[in-house]
Amino acid sequence: MRRQIRLKVNGEDVSVSVDTHKTLLWLLREELHLKGTKEGCGRGECGACTVILNGEPVNSCLVLAVEADGAEVRTIEGEARDGRLSDLQEAFIRHNALQCGFCTPGMIMSARALLERNPHPTDEEIREAIEGNLCRCTGYLPVLQAIREVAARGARS
Amino acid sequence: MRELEYFRPATLEEATALLHRYGSRARVLAGGTDLLVGLRDGTISCACVVDVKAIPEMRQLSFRPASGLFIGGAVTVNRLIRDPEVGRHYPVLVQAGRSLANALVRNRATVVGNLCNASPAADMAPALLVLGASLRVADNGGTRTVPLAGFFTGPKKHVLRPEELVVGVEVPPVEGRAVYLKKARIKGFDLAQVGVAGLFSPATGLRLGLGAVAPTPVLVSVPGIAGREQLGAEDVQAAVLEKVFSSIDPISDQRASREYRLAMVEYLVKRVLAHLGEAGEHAQAD
Repeated sequence: MRRQIRLKVNGEDVSVSVDTHKTLLWLLREELHLKGTKEGCGRGECGACTVILNGEPVNSCLVLAVEADGAEVRTIEGEARDGRLSDLQEAFIRHNALQCGFCTPGMIMSARALLERNPHPTDEEIREAIEGNLCRCTGYLPVLQAIREVAARGARS
Repeated sequence: MRELEYFRPATLEEATALLHRYGSRARVLAGGTDLLVGLRDGTISCACVVDVKAIPEMRQLSFRPASGLFIGGAVTVNRLIRDPEVGRHYPVLVQAGRSLANALVRNRATVVGNLCNASPAADMAPALLVLGASLRVADNGGTRTVPLAGFFTGPKKHVLRPEELVVGVEVPPVEGRAVYLKKARIKGFDLAQVGVAGLFSPATGLRLGLGAVAPTPVLVSVPGIAGREQLGAEDVQAAVLEKVFSSIDPISDQRASREYRLAMVEYLVKRVLAHLGEAGEHAQAD
């Protein structure tokens, strides 16, 4: 059955009718055509689908779209502004923190949420924040370096 | 997942009325980190979900020195482990919660959901068992209290009827040191191969909670230990281990063999006893 929901996605108001059994991940990719958020496992085990929901990074494959009624969602598409890459995006590129890039949107959303909540994380806190974002390419160290650098410089607010 | 009705009651009364009406055709939706996986792979099927996150009592997380801690049914694991009062008075719950899955899951997964999913390996169960926790349970007739020690009845099974809703966990004020140690396959996040929680105070004696080594999480009480210095004594350790081994029955599965689990139980119980035997108000997990 379908429900009408209203939410904010990357700052923009969205009103859409969605089946109650569909996930937020499905809504973002298939209904709103925001393909940056990826489906890796569909079970909340890989983090490729990470988005920021009401300020908290979550696996969007584990959220029903209807649960996001009235919510604010931010995805990787909201990182770059006015055609300019964000500080995290630039740091990831500079540090070679991506190869195939599949985990990267999720990594950046986890990192963004961390730095908003905790602008000066310890190494341990950075590791904890990305613990749910699996990467098969980089071995994680360049990802940690990129996040560390952005934190040290002061992340964009 | 097929056709699914979705309800989002604003009050406890609305929620219990829905559960009464739909019974076993309904599922409570809190964090959804177990429910959505089950719906997707077909191990769970239901006609409707009752989203309880809008109910004020379910969102409550509060501590009173006289009555202890109340963890509402919609309180996420991350919210629990980041709460200053929880860190101050129940650090073992921070240890247990921190070991549960990963930060993304913990932003949605609830403490109550972990208990109601009733995996034998549930990370919140051993610590809450040694703390003497109870569940406040509601249905459309009223509320009742269920001690956690009697709650689990088998893998993924518990004593509640389908129309009952867990409003929250009540954790009494506690004295003594407590710790939760978890053995998993990898350094990253994983289910427990073996989980052991321990609590010792001269008043309560020794309590151990064990996960992933029996069809349910297990509570083992060892009264009669007068002081923490005795926890290091060989005869006391031998007696504790004998009682533990007679209370568990680990299986071999994809995560560990029975033999490995038995060996890890002995290792972790000894480490827990060592932690509990140290001086100082609170134990640090390593």
